[in-house]
Amino acid sequence: MTSFAKAGTDSAPGAQPAAGVAFDVQDVTLRFGGVTSLNHVSLQMRRGEILAVIGPNGAGKTSLFNSLTGVYAPQEGRITLQAREGDEPVSVIGMKVHKVNHLGVARTFQNIRLFPALTAIENVKIGIETRQKSGPVSAMLGLPWQRREEHASTKRALELLSFVGLAHRANDIAGSLAYGEQRRLEIARAMGTNPSVLLLDEPAAGTNPVEKRELADLIKRINVEDGVSVLLIEHDMKLVMSIADRLVVLNFGQKIAEGTPEQIQRDPAVIAAYLGTTDEDAAKAELEAQPELRRIELLTDEERERENEGETL
Amino acid sequence: MNPALAFLRSDSGKRLGACLGLGVALALMTGATGRQDDYLYAIKEDLFTFHLIENLLIGVVVWLLFTFWPVIRRYLTRPGALGLLAGAMTVIVAQTVLGWYEPEDAKFSGLATLVGDTNGISALSSAFFGWLAWAQLIAVIVVGAAALVLRNRALFWVGAAMAVAAAIIASQAHKKVDELAGVVDHATGVTVAVWGYLTIAVALAIAAISTDDVARTREFVNAVLGWRPGFALGAAATALALYSLGVSSWFAPKSLNATLADVHSLFKGTSLAPIAVQYFIWLSWALVIVAGALVLVAAYFRSIILGIVGAAAAAVGLVITMISIHAITSLAANSENTYATKGPWQNLGDGAWWTCASFLALAAAGLVVAQSALKGRSATAADAAHDPSAGPRFLYAPGATLAVLGAAAAAAIFIPPTLEPSWQTALVTSIGIYMFLAIGLNVVVGWAGLLDLGFIAFYAIGAYTTAYLVGSLPVKPPFELPVLWAIPFAIAVCLIAGVILGFPTLRLRGDYLAIVTLGFGEIVRLVAVNSNGITNGPRGTEDQVPHPVINLGFVKFTFGLDQLPYWYLLLAVMVIVIIFFRRLENSRTGRAWAAIREDEVAAQAAGINPVKYKLLAFAIGASTSGIAGVLFATNVGFFNPDNFKFEFSILVLAYVVFGGMGSLPGAIAGAAVLTWLPEFLRDQVPSEDRQMYIGAVLVIMMIFRPAGLIPAKRRATELRGHGPDSAESQAVPAGGGLGGSYA
Repeated sequence: MTSFAKAGTDSAPGAQPAAGVAFDVQDVTLRFGGVTSLNHVSLQMRRGEILAVIGPNGAGKTSLFNSLTGVYAPQEGRITLQAREGDEPVSVIGMKVHKVNHLGVARTFQNIRLFPALTAIENVKIGIETRQKSGPVSAMLGLPWQRREEHASTKRALELLSFVGLAHRANDIAGSLAYGEQRRLEIARAMGTNPSVLLLDEPAAGTNPVEKRELADLIKRINVEDGVSVLLIEHDMKLVMSIADRLVVLNFGQKIAEGTPEQIQRDPAVIAAYLGTTDEDAAKAELEAQPELRRIELLTDEERERENEGETL
Repeated sequence: MNPALAFLRSDSGKRLGACLGLGVALALMTGATGRQDDYLYAIKEDLFTFHLIENLLIGVVVWLLFTFWPVIRRYLTRPGALGLLAGAMTVIVAQTVLGWYEPEDAKFSGLATLVGDTNGISALSSAFFGWLAWAQLIAVIVVGAAALVLRNRALFWVGAAMAVAAAIIASQAHKKVDELAGVVDHATGVTVAVWGYLTIAVALAIAAISTDDVARTREFVNAVLGWRPGFALGAAATALALYSLGVSSWFAPKSLNATLADVHSLFKGTSLAPIAVQYFIWLSWALVIVAGALVLVAAYFRSIILGIVGAAAAAVGLVITMISIHAITSLAANSENTYATKGPWQNLGDGAWWTCASFLALAAAGLVVAQSALKGRSATAADAAHDPSAGPRFLYAPGATLAVLGAAAAAAIFIPPTLEPSWQTALVTSIGIYMFLAIGLNVVVGWAGLLDLGFIAFYAIGAYTTAYLVGSLPVKPPFELPVLWAIPFAIAVCLIAGVILGFPTLRLRGDYLAIVTLGFGEIVRLVAVNSNGITNGPRGTEDQVPHPVINLGFVKFTFGLDQLPYWYLLLAVMVIVIIFFRRLENSRTGRAWAAIREDEVAAQAAGINPVKYKLLAFAIGASTSGIAGVLFATNVGFFNPDNFKFEFSILVLAYVVFGGMGSLPGAIAGAAVLTWLPEFLRDQVPSEDRQMYIGAVLVIMMIFRPAGLIPAKRRATELRGHGPDSAESQAVPAGGGLGGSYA
């Protein structure tokens, strides 16, 4: 696992990333004034995999997402994107957010960011229509190609809504949807841009166990059926362990571990980070005494739900 | 503690104090004017007379309203309550603010004094102006309120009957006074009071027959419009047509006021075209009855074919009516007799135009019938997904939109000719032009969410571009264009100006953007003021901007000082702009604007380039004010930089907010209402108080209907919030604020 990162670190700037890599993050450091949010983080995301980023609150997971999508520009390091096979590898640092999206990267947000006053289908259509060509003049004149595009966009939006199980709420105002539905609608909007890489920021936050199972299934389908690489931030370990191919663990802005779910569950550094102790032996002992800790759950669902409501309201 | 003191220190007591203070302030505001020789005169007059007590009572009423709001609110949602309230307020306004007797410029109280001082006035009039006017209002309100509280059907009918009686008493009492004086009286007070009483009557009658599912205004209106699509419009149009044929004036040169029957005798023996002769004898009645019956029967049986036939009959009626009224007016124009008119289409009475409007509305009703019947047959599961009650639309009944459009078209085309010239001028130069500006600003503020405080600058640019292109400025163009050809150039120049303003300001948001646009507006005005060599400075245009000429080869029309043709020109351009913008709103561009407005970060993450779409919004918004600038310039001929002052930018913004941000019909309605209101108040209130009333309307509107007159579909939800309790708020129709139930 770590061999990938090492190979990347050694390569010269601007070099081609290894074959099959969508995001190549090399030695990235992001600071806000005196606070270092990401500290020499390196990781690689392969095309076609589900890669999960986990870590305690404030570990820098969302900062990583924002650096990958162009919202933040890290001060050091390189982030190279090659979303589709055969694309020209490009650096996303300093690139405009919408440009990154047009390179095939779509995302959702930790605190849901839908267009709340618009209907569900309009939300999805907005995503789809960023790939269309017709302009305001053809819309005003109602020209045939504009109508064709409009029709295609509606059709695709309905497909996506039924894909995420929201077809029956197509004409409802997005702000009136239930929490879990809003999360799925955000995924549908992201899928509308026809991405090769999908970044999901805590998609299961505030959803109930049934919805979580459906969500895991949905992410799997996006990954397998549509061939979309998924980068996932998630606190629900059961969900993460069940769908992720690989995991990256961040703590205080640093990568502390990387590996398959089995490897991560046994990693003493990870357990120490989660339990807030530096004594690895103590952590190991704890783990042996309480096997249920293997499903690392920082917060109960109820607590997370409360926390998320606090953010969005 | 002393209980009285305790009450005064409670919230309720403090509120009472505030309300009484409000009463004192009101007394001073509406009371006597100050005098230089006695500075305390106004205060003495206002505070030591009965006048103060009246206003303190208002304060107490306001306090009671606040204190018992939860209770009152429950009753307000009952059927008829809002109609009763609105009607009562209308009558009160009519009897306090509006003029009742034009020759003396008197309001209700002024006329009451006059009546009291005059002998030989009929008993009805002296009673009405003595005490009956207020007594009958109080009686109607008490009976109506009692019916509401007791939910007593019989009492509702009694209240409705009393309201009708009160309306008849008011109009008769006023008519008797006018007859005695023998003068022409255009005062609006009594008409408004009658409308207020009729509103009460209708509201109470509705309450008497209503069931729970039509309890709300919105549901009721939709129930009426949706019962048989097209029926309501058809019935209203037929009734108006029959009234016009029977009673109204058709031909009114000088002191003559000829009804339909009079016109026939007036033109007997002249060389009037045979069809017009027949029209004034029987054809008009036959056309109305046939077209009306066809449309109503079609609506009742939801018949497509009958609906189309009815629409065709109404169209034929419209054409024949217009041929006939053209025939009499052109004959009169060419004749030498005393009733000679200025030209064709002139000096026609209200009835002639109302009949035209009725025929047009009937034709629209026929189309509504056909359209909704057609839709009903091809209804599919896809349509069911558009569950109307789920959306925040006000009108969701089938065919309602088309019916409203038909009625609006009929009114927009055939009501302006019946207006007095001063109103026609207002209709073009303020109402029409500002509708354009509001439509344009709505794109920037309502759709893209960019606060623009300098919008009038684009209007100025459009007007000055026109003046340049037709050679009315000191700088001459290489070749002078006919004025209507300036439209595309003005649009282009405004588009570019929009981009020029937009480009450096795009990184700014909210307040910062507002300040920069404010500066832009002032810069444009000051450039116009100071560039003597280019714009002729504060003196305005050097030569007159010519009136437009439309020359289509076979037909040539030259515009002049008559304002009516400009209205039709404005209307035609506006219809095109509205169609274009409607499409734009529901296209990917419109949705991208909405996305940027709602959440710019999310919009970017979805792949929208905000810079591009903000520039587009500035440019497209500016282009409509370019059109407005051309139409303004050619209408007034001469203008100067004072026509583009900062306050107009704020006014346009107020129109958009008042009408409903982001709502195209809202922007139009907001501009129409708020430009109409000052013109209306001009004759009703002292000119120094005019702004106060407009301000009061704005304040009341924003408290009770914060989303605006016609809230935008996409915006309506924002003000209601969307939390975990949004399911509950969804159950209440759009509106929000204290008057959430109003919608």
